[in-house]
Amino acid sequence: MKLNSMSFFQLASQRMHWLGAHQKVVAENIANADTPGFKARSVSSFAALVDGNSGGGVKTTHVAHISGGGESAGIRVTADTAAWENSIDGNSVVLEQQTLKASEISENYQMAAQLYGKGHQLLTLAVVGQR
Amino acid sequence: MDPLRSIGAVASSGMQAQGERLKVVAENVANAGSTGTSPGADPYQRKTLAFEEMVDRDTGVSMVRIAALGRDQAPFGRDYDPAHPAADAEGFVKTANVNPLLEMSNMREAARSYEANLNMFETGRRMRGQMLDLLR
Repeated sequence: MKLNSMSFFQLASQRMHWLGAHQKVVAENIANADTPGFKARSVSSFAALVDGNSGGGVKTTHVAHISGGGESAGIRVTADTAAWENSIDGNSVVLEQQTLKASEISENYQMAAQLYGKGHQLLTLAVVGQR
Repeated sequence: MDPLRSIGAVASSGMQAQGERLKVVAENVANAGSTGTSPGADPYQRKTLAFEEMVDRDTGVSMVRIAALGRDQAPFGRDYDPAHPAADAEGFVKTANVNPLLEMSNMREAARSYEANLNMFETGRRMRGQMLDLLR
């Protein structure tokens, strides 16, 4: 039985992968909060990842095609257009904004992980009949 | 590299850079009163540092590092103290171009940025823990 073939587990693990990649970008922003000329970055939306094909990679339309990029092909890192302000040295990272993002991502990650765990419980319940 | 693991590397590079910045601030404050020893000699010149983005070639994550340590080119202060060993012919002593107020605000900012990186490290660690809890 492949867990990934069930859309629920696939969605939850994709969500966790995306949140992890997003958190990494936020960590980079915070580390470079005092770097002159550094522009805050963000990642493409989760919806874009779920829809597939909207990533930077090349579409595979034939069985003989080689899929490019691997699993992270659907996550693109872009300049954050919603950055609140620019400082004199050209840096657009606002620590408050990034901290807000980080805690939001962390909460969403917890939710996705718990949902994944619940899915497992559900399967166990179906197989064993008791918890 | 797994994004959750690279968070630790990124955050620690940030902490290291902020720590270095704090060290420079401490040097400036400690030497705020350092003058020359011979008549007309230059006093302590304030140190500055600049950060730059560093992309790790192996993993592709962007970290931060110290780009350059420099000296502040601002003019020195002048105090009238003819008895001082560094006093010039007119009795003036050059004093270090360190502004304590500036150093203090720099220190506060470095400490806050350090804290932000530390929190990021902690958040990454917690997320990793949640993911590993799925194995239980």
